[in-house]
Amino acid sequence: MAREPSRAVRGLLRIAAVRGSDAELGDILEEYLAAGRGNLWLCRQVLSTLRSHPKPATVDERKQAMLSNLWSDVRYAARIFRQSPGFAAAALAPIALGIGINTGIFSILNGIAFRQLPVPAPAELVSVHQQFQGVKQRRVHGARSLFSIPEYLSYRNGTQTLSGVMAYTVPWTFTLASETPREIEAVLVTCNYFDVLRVRPLIGTAFGSNCDSSNAPPTAVLTHDLWLRAFAADRDIVGKTITLNGQEVAVVGVAPDGFDGIDLMKAAVFVPTSLIRLVQPNANYMDDPQTSWVTLIGRRKNDVDITQVRAELSVLANQIDQQQPGRTTTLTVAPATSLSLPQARSDVFAVATVVLAAFGLVLLIACANVANLLLARGAGRTREIAVRLAVGATRGRLIQQLLTENAIIALTGGLAGSVLAWWSFRGLLALLLSSLPAEIPPLRIDATPNLSVFWFATGLSAATVIVFGLIPALQASKPDVQIALKQEAAITGRRSAGWLRGSLVGVQIAVCMVLLISAGLLLRALYAVQKIEPGFDYHNVVVVSFDKRWADSNDRAAAFRQEFNERVASLPDVRGTALVAKTPLSPGHHQTMLRLPGQEQWHEVDVNTISPEYFSLVGIPIVRGRTFARGELLDSPRAAIVTEATARRYWPAQDPVGRTLMIHVGGPNEEAQVEIVGVAKDAQVTGVAETASSYVYLPAGPRDARLLDLLVRSETDFAGFAAAVRTLARDLDPMVAVRVNRLEANLDFWRTLSRMTVGLSGSLSLLALVLASIGVYGVVSYVVSRRRREVAIRLALGATARDVQSLIVRQTLRPVAIGVVIGVFASAAASRVLQAILFGVSPFDPLAFIGAPLFLLGIACAATLLPIRQALRVDPVTTLRYE
Amino acid sequence: MARREHLGELEQIVLLAVVRLRDDAYGVPIRLEIERRIGRTLTVGALYRTLDRLELKGYVTSWFGEPTSERGGRSKRYFKVRPSGLRALRASHDALTAMWEGLGPQVTRGA
Repeated sequence: MAREPSRAVRGLLRIAAVRGSDAELGDILEEYLAAGRGNLWLCRQVLSTLRSHPKPATVDERKQAMLSNLWSDVRYAARIFRQSPGFAAAALAPIALGIGINTGIFSILNGIAFRQLPVPAPAELVSVHQQFQGVKQRRVHGARSLFSIPEYLSYRNGTQTLSGVMAYTVPWTFTLASETPREIEAVLVTCNYFDVLRVRPLIGTAFGSNCDSSNAPPTAVLTHDLWLRAFAADRDIVGKTITLNGQEVAVVGVAPDGFDGIDLMKAAVFVPTSLIRLVQPNANYMDDPQTSWVTLIGRRKNDVDITQVRAELSVLANQIDQQQPGRTTTLTVAPATSLSLPQARSDVFAVATVVLAAFGLVLLIACANVANLLLARGAGRTREIAVRLAVGATRGRLIQQLLTENAIIALTGGLAGSVLAWWSFRGLLALLLSSLPAEIPPLRIDATPNLSVFWFATGLSAATVIVFGLIPALQASKPDVQIALKQEAAITGRRSAGWLRGSLVGVQIAVCMVLLISAGLLLRALYAVQKIEPGFDYHNVVVVSFDKRWADSNDRAAAFRQEFNERVASLPDVRGTALVAKTPLSPGHHQTMLRLPGQEQWHEVDVNTISPEYFSLVGIPIVRGRTFARGELLDSPRAAIVTEATARRYWPAQDPVGRTLMIHVGGPNEEAQVEIVGVAKDAQVTGVAETASSYVYLPAGPRDARLLDLLVRSETDFAGFAAAVRTLARDLDPMVAVRVNRLEANLDFWRTLSRMTVGLSGSLSLLALVLASIGVYGVVSYVVSRRRREVAIRLALGATARDVQSLIVRQTLRPVAIGVVIGVFASAAASRVLQAILFGVSPFDPLAFIGAPLFLLGIACAATLLPIRQALRVDPVTTLRYE
Repeated sequence: MARREHLGELEQIVLLAVVRLRDDAYGVPIRLEIERRIGRTLTVGALYRTLDRLELKGYVTSWFGEPTSERGGRSKRYFKVRPSGLRALRASHDALTAMWEGLGPQVTRGA
């Protein structure tokens, strides 16, 4: 049996380890242990190795030594895992799961916000957006940061750093005439769209250079998908005409397969920007310098970098500012992605941060599990570590070896997780996209892993090594040498190791608590959304809407609508009809500006154009004044109705009826003075659990008639009524596409959103709970197994099973209880983040904050009692004999 | 006669031990084999200095084996004599034999 080297010799060995080669020191150790050599022998051998390396290693030699050490550590670790496959699996599985789901989420985020566009040389493309001040009246379609056509032309004509600048819009809904008219998404583009993107049509050509001029015949480029679906891949399609919104348009080309625009929303057809007149006939979008509606994309010239582009475009922005006194513009020029709109990017990143944080928490729990596993295993390798330290390995060298083992776990886990992510997330993403509400057009998200995803997975794996590996490595590398070398049985683990294990359990429980409470809150919100009463009556109300711009003249459309509305109103079981511009709870906002007389300040306000019957049909009471009179239904409004909240905001403690305000209508500089004739009760019409603080109703004039949806209260079954309405529309005009939906479907949008978030957070919480329970179970099993001897002695001395049980449970549940308390406080902070989607539930909802901790404590108790019960079943005498 | 590099005594002894041990020639058995056969105790350092010199001369080649826990996670460094090493051994043997030839029993047996 090896005698313990003296302290002086141990010091000498440590010095030797700096200079002696691994092979030499390995030989010394092997012979020292196997042949029982003495300390003097050990000393002499060590001294001999010192003389053998008189020169300090050069940098190259040190590097080589380090690499050779690293390689030997890798092989040693691989050997250990081969010998203990159970341990390896138990360590790999949680890490693979944690890294896998995080990588999957990141790959979706990457597909949305970071991936380059699917066109040639995408790195050369930049997107341009603007923020400006000092502009009083701006019409906005989409976002304020978009450009008008005159602004686009200034940049296109003035740039020297970009080889081309094109503009495009988000998809607009058009009606494609056919046997059954169908609605399709069309992207309006400038004539050089395909040239700047360098996308060559599969058949035919792109747009001609003057495709936008007023006397140019309208043209279109179909997407490959539309060409297949609607035109049976007709090879002679070029030159044929299609009818969009009643206008004949010549097809000049078909885009290549797989290209359906560069935005997240897929397009079906591309048309010139001049065709905006088919969807916005009342406004002059092409010439108006104050309408934000197009995004700019430019292609950098060779050898021009983005800073030069920014500098040049700022100069051009300055020139535009000088033409509009008081205006100041700042540009955002960034590499082009599918999500280039700054506001949309920040919204997506806000959501992504929350989601990644939540998934990251699950990974943290997994890491804590593995760390505990390693701590337990570290205790079993105490002798090996002690011997290595005794013969001179430095602590640094040992930590390097242990970290290498942990790195192998993390990297293997990361690789397995990434494969899992790639395999499962494609299906998950498809499921997610298919369960989006029908109002949202089809999205194009490419979540295939690329280099960014690879680096994310690698970085995450490296981080997990540090998180779960460093502490056990530090812990394991300083065992008490004396105890280890004397082969003391039943090492119960030093106090500091027990504290560490307890802390890890506490961390797991705290994190699990945050996830559980968040899930609980979201569940409460889901319940609330299902039960919500939004302040208007949506039962038995049907929404009939048209593609609003199908006819080419106001008169024809107005005549159709009048006839149609009257016929619908006279259908059997119809109790009432009303016209509305924006149906309650439909997504998005319609907004305009209002100003109080005598004040300069304009305020942004939600606006809805309605017929007088609207309030009674949807059950929103008029609390003061009256609804609109027939004589007030003019093209230029003279009357308005405000909500209670609006009245409180602009006329606090006063009666607004009879007062006037200025409101922005129609084109720029078109203001109308309106008199307030009534105050309507507040209702959740802009969003669930949301009451707009500024909301104005305006009366629908004849000009608005063809643009408005028809609300119908009908006592008959929906399917039958919808069929009757469609037949009616077709009889009047076969080219019209009509949509019939239940008003309740608008509420479904919010319910679906809520269901999806609950589903997601619920699954995460379940996963976290399972991992945390395994963690608690594992630690308790370990502690109980180590204390078997103590337990047996206590039982033999007369303690009851219950006494022993309560002793261990008390000690084990202490870190659990602390974790729960910390978790509750952390949840209180985290729940503020969820506030926006809690739909009327308080972020400190007592049911969630009491229910979740009790639930978790129950699970933890079960996880604690199980291994104790198992241990107590063994006869104490048998245990003592064995020990 | 062409100039040849001859092996020193220790170099020969170490090389011969490596030859004897075939596939199991690493530090510990090499030292033990030498100690067993000729009663000479080499320190670990001295052995590896010699082996490094032989490798530098191209007479042996070395590689690392599996690390083991008995060695504290360190690998064994195995050695094998190369053809040039065998030639050097034979040359040294021939040289010594030539020098010993014809010497009377007073040298071979001692006085």
